[in-house]
Amino acid sequence: MNTDRFDLGGGEPIIILRDVAKSYWREELEIPVLQGIDIEIPKGSYIALMGPSGSGKTTLLNLIAGLDRPTGGSLEVCGYELNDLDDDELAAWRNAHVGFIFQNYNLVPVLNAFENVELPLLLTGAGRGERRDRVDQALTLVNLTDKMRNYPRQLSGGQEQRVAIARAIVTDPDLLVADEPTGALDAKNAEEVLALMERLNTDLGKTIVVVTHDPKAAHHARHQIHLEKGVLDRTVEVNR
Amino acid sequence: MMLGLLLLLPIGAYLAWLIWALVAYPVPLSYNLRSLWQRKVSSLSTAVAIALVVGIFVVVLSLAQGLSVAFVSSGRSDQALVLRPNARFELNSSIERDRMRILKVHPLLKRDAEGPMASAEVVVVKLFPMADGTDNNVTVRGLEREGIALRPQVRLVQGRWFRPGLSEAVVPRKMQGRFPGMELGRSLRMGGREWTIVGTFDAGGASYESEVWSDVNDVMQAFRRESYSAMLGRLENPDRVEGFAKTVEDDKRLKLEVVRETDYFKELTKAGDPIKILGNLITLILTGAAIFAAMNTMYAAVAGRTKEIGTLRALGFRQREILASFQWESIFLCLTGGILGSGLALFANGIQTGTTSFETFSDVSFAFTITPGLMAQGVAFSLVMGLLGGFLPAWRASRIPLTEAMKGG
Repeated sequence: MNTDRFDLGGGEPIIILRDVAKSYWREELEIPVLQGIDIEIPKGSYIALMGPSGSGKTTLLNLIAGLDRPTGGSLEVCGYELNDLDDDELAAWRNAHVGFIFQNYNLVPVLNAFENVELPLLLTGAGRGERRDRVDQALTLVNLTDKMRNYPRQLSGGQEQRVAIARAIVTDPDLLVADEPTGALDAKNAEEVLALMERLNTDLGKTIVVVTHDPKAAHHARHQIHLEKGVLDRTVEVNR
Repeated sequence: MMLGLLLLLPIGAYLAWLIWALVAYPVPLSYNLRSLWQRKVSSLSTAVAIALVVGIFVVVLSLAQGLSVAFVSSGRSDQALVLRPNARFELNSSIERDRMRILKVHPLLKRDAEGPMASAEVVVVKLFPMADGTDNNVTVRGLEREGIALRPQVRLVQGRWFRPGLSEAVVPRKMQGRFPGMELGRSLRMGGREWTIVGTFDAGGASYESEVWSDVNDVMQAFRRESYSAMLGRLENPDRVEGFAKTVEDDKRLKLEVVRETDYFKELTKAGDPIKILGNLITLILTGAAIFAAMNTMYAAVAGRTKEIGTLRALGFRQREILASFQWESIFLCLTGGILGSGLALFANGIQTGTTSFETFSDVSFAFTITPGLMAQGVAFSLVMGLLGGFLPAWRASRIPLTEAMKGG
């Protein structure tokens, strides 16, 4: 492993964070969660955000993904200054540019695999035929075309997470964010999911930012960013 | 009225927006319908509660409808009723015999082969025992032969019409079930005499179905009346009623009041007001309960699906799309109840019942009348319940902070 502060290599940055801060307020008391985050992440990176509980890694991921807003600093992600977007614009931006992978898959239980993957496409204005083709492609990529009519309760945990990955990539976003994507999976399924994510990075060039506690999952990334008490501690380049 | 409009305006605008959202917004309806189905027990129990309220609502409306049919179908716009001034109703009115003689040959009255189309009539009330063991006042109408011709909706269905001087009576067929001893051939005790029932009639739902009919002179003698109650007369056409009224009211020998027959019965429909008020009060209370039931079900749905809502928002669905989606879910829930309730109300259709008119202190017989219009009103009512009951939970669903929703609330 090569340890170096905040150097993630060259290339065109897809994520630019300038002095980003985030605080929560409990009545009059300000609780700082992130402070002075300054970093550029190049396109095509595979980053693992690491750190102890409460270090602010999920908060940072939420800010990068446009799920939350900073209390200070600026974020430019996929060419957009997120502070300039209102709530509706931010929702449209997430749909177009970000794919989400969650620890507990977050599939809608009353929709089958096909319909779950189709959900983000409903916002794009794509016609029924185009949507069907793109869902087919996404499910083919995760090797689940035979399960497209199955409901989440009829799938294993690993299959559910693969459906969730298909949903994340179906709109062909530039950026994939994942919060503990293998946290609920056994070792075999976790390895399959991590291999799949690695393929999405290497073969399709997706930029991936993943929050994880799991060293094995972090080892699939190209860089690890460590946070400590809300500030960037160090970056580590992973030699795979 | 203005307040009602002010309340309806935002509801109407909101509904229009929801209909537009149904077409324009991408959250699939199947998502809501399947979510309702997934929570079968709570969805069904709420739908059943709403069905009961809507059923009661439609039945209450059908009472008013039945009464309205009874009275509206009783009158004709080309006929007029002559009463003592300020009497308002036949029961309070009296017209002496010499005035009636002048009145009955009024030149504006329409004539047929028998002469002027007018009937001098007397109306009294008599207490009769009902099938349920209670007693109720029944209107006894004494009329002339011409009085039958003036009411073409009245049709003899059994036996024959009464003959003068023989103490004979005819009764409505629909009263027979509610008042025992009114079968053909039986006798009624009225005014100290026995009256033979010689016929039964049907009045097509009109208010005459609550009256016992006999000859005017026989009734006056039996009940020791010196004067008539009123005169019913037909004019050449509806426009002649005003002219007839003016000449009668201006005639110093008569000094009587003329009311168009349709207006008279419109006034009588107020007999249904107490039922309507009570029914509306019950409906209002039950509606409040049903709205809370719907609200409770939807709040539980939102609480149980917070993470789902967060996921949808993360994927790019906007707050207003979540609002519309959950609002429609509530509307579907209530509409299911509404359709069920309107269907259930059909079982009441045609059931014969009666009430006491506070205008005439006598029984008014009518049937529950469930029309497609009333059923549509019931369904519309459930839609309003869905709107009101679902709004706050849907609003809550759309406003949960995204990061909080992602964690499952």
